[in-house]
Amino acid sequence: MTTTYDYSRSQQLFQRAVKVIPCGVPGHMSPGVNVPAADYPIFTEKAKGATFYDLDGNRFIDYMCAYGPMVLGYNNPLVDNAATEQLKSADLTMGASPKMVELAELLVEMVPVADWAFFAKNGGDVTNYATMIARTATNRKKIVMIQGGYHGVAPWMQPPGHHGLIEEDYSHIIRVPWNDVDAFQQAVDQYPGEIAGFIATPYHVATFYDNELPEAGYWPGIEMICRKNGIVLILDDIRHGFRLDMGGSCEYFGFKPDLICFCKALANGFPISALVGRESLKLDAAKIFYTGSYWNQAVPMAAAIACLTELKRLDAPAVMLENGKKLFTAMQTMAAGYGYDLKVTGAWSMPNIRIANDDTNMLHQQWCAECTKRGVFLASHHNLFMSLAHDEEVISQTLEIVDEAFNALDGGQA
Amino acid sequence: MNHEQIKALLNMNAVMKNLEELVLLDSQVAEQVKELDFAIEFSTLFGPKCSVEFKAGQCRVRPGKHHRPRIRLLCFSPAHFNRVMEGKSNPVPVKGIKFLKFLSTEFPKITDRLEFYLKPDNARLADPDYLRINTRFTLNTAVNAVKLLALHDTLGKFNRAHIPNGTVEFRVLPEGPSAVLSFDGDTVEVLDQPCARPSAVLLFKDEQTANDLLNGNSDAFAALATGDVMMKGRIPMIEAINLILDRIPLYLS
Repeated sequence: MTTTYDYSRSQQLFQRAVKVIPCGVPGHMSPGVNVPAADYPIFTEKAKGATFYDLDGNRFIDYMCAYGPMVLGYNNPLVDNAATEQLKSADLTMGASPKMVELAELLVEMVPVADWAFFAKNGGDVTNYATMIARTATNRKKIVMIQGGYHGVAPWMQPPGHHGLIEEDYSHIIRVPWNDVDAFQQAVDQYPGEIAGFIATPYHVATFYDNELPEAGYWPGIEMICRKNGIVLILDDIRHGFRLDMGGSCEYFGFKPDLICFCKALANGFPISALVGRESLKLDAAKIFYTGSYWNQAVPMAAAIACLTELKRLDAPAVMLENGKKLFTAMQTMAAGYGYDLKVTGAWSMPNIRIANDDTNMLHQQWCAECTKRGVFLASHHNLFMSLAHDEEVISQTLEIVDEAFNALDGGQA
Repeated sequence: MNHEQIKALLNMNAVMKNLEELVLLDSQVAEQVKELDFAIEFSTLFGPKCSVEFKAGQCRVRPGKHHRPRIRLLCFSPAHFNRVMEGKSNPVPVKGIKFLKFLSTEFPKITDRLEFYLKPDNARLADPDYLRINTRFTLNTAVNAVKLLALHDTLGKFNRAHIPNGTVEFRVLPEGPSAVLSFDGDTVEVLDQPCARPSAVLLFKDEQTANDLLNGNSDAFAALATGDVMMKGRIPMIEAINLILDRIPLYLS
């Protein structure tokens, strides 16, 4: 029986952190997003493969993969060597790196929709850029997005009512429900000739809710409306990219967007994002001045080349889909043995899981916490991520710990 | 509803609502009201109304007209009423002239005590009894204000639209005050009784933690990380309520 973890060193450092950093640890890595937060680690000491160790020396099999970037395993030697070698020659200088051209060529070759590529740092950099291109190309103002969709943290991307926003930030944003082609058509009818772009993830991954795959006819319907009305179709593949298909998740679901945004799994944790697009939008992309101090770093580009090449060689999406299916169906069977209904939604390579016996989610939260404090890091309200490092041995270790966590449940009520 | 109308609503039904507990928790006020048996109606032109009814040592603050008030106080606008609440103006008694002495001497003593408990400073908060009452009143004000803002404030309504039906319990440990907000369709209610199976729970480790957070003196994310504040259940309900809570200072400072 595994003993549960102690986080006292993490907590001690957190006390220092809150004195000098808003929230202590801000953003999506904040321990405040975990439930209950005190059952989760805060600071990482080291990582390797599918695991990381926190400041207290606790080992975790990581099913969040740093919210997705880790796809080959932490400290993957192939990617790290490519980055290190590039660092020895040049990273950020007054000249662009040849690696940028190599990486763009690789993406254009790999992604059927792509005729060009542009690089930045974070997902939000390129989702924002994509909407600017759509507005430039169409000379229109409005962007349609999905209710509960997440495309980053720029003001227009955030829901009204959140701090730091003003009304004008979202005055040209129209939100429609997921899987509702008619709602998009109604928006188009309501604002004829005013909608520049439609942006959505390949399937719906709203935090706190079950994931929703596209219904048959959804993407063809959206694509048809976009084509008919001159609306730029933007695929936000930041989270899903390279976990469903190396050509972009649109290939998995069978549609052709105009622009695709990539980030997370692009470089196994090195900071880089990419926007790829059709030839017809290349001139519009070129007109927009859009840059950042570190967007030309060569090291992440070298890492991305190594990462994508390896993912392609290993047929990574297929492996992660298969291993995810093995793991999560085994978990479902195990849960059923304890009388729990473990609901799995989304793709097997990045599924959302939830114990569905309790509509308050308290039972699920307790189970995720029991798993985490025994060494399997599960976020309770976000989709999980598989990586190539989650192999049979790791899956076997995971199931042992998950079994103990089911045993530890007491019903989860307040 | 405009800003002054919403502010008047909050002053009546979130701030003055604390009179109900004040008469039970403050011995001086309890002594003052134990013999009272009448209702005061506050009305504003083009704005909300409420009544404060004293009976058998208890007090009830209710929205709307009173069926038979002994005293009726009129404000010419919601803004006028809000200035009255800030001590910068007076209402016009239009009924109950014989109660003028009560209105000029006794009632202000009660409202002064309410103000005392609702306006903390470090010295006052050092007193555990004061901390306890201030925490209770601040929590009461907060949940009642959330209810009103969810129904009337533009962004409050937007956030309310994202709150699924269910109940959210706020509880101060180990045996501090608690409050329950219930959401059901277009209805938002503050429940009088604890809920057996809330949809979401926000727990405060102790009164000091609750007081710091409710008065805006601590960081909620940091408090969650340390376990001083714990949440569980349907987190989107708490997140949306938190956004509504953050709108209260726009009306009540």
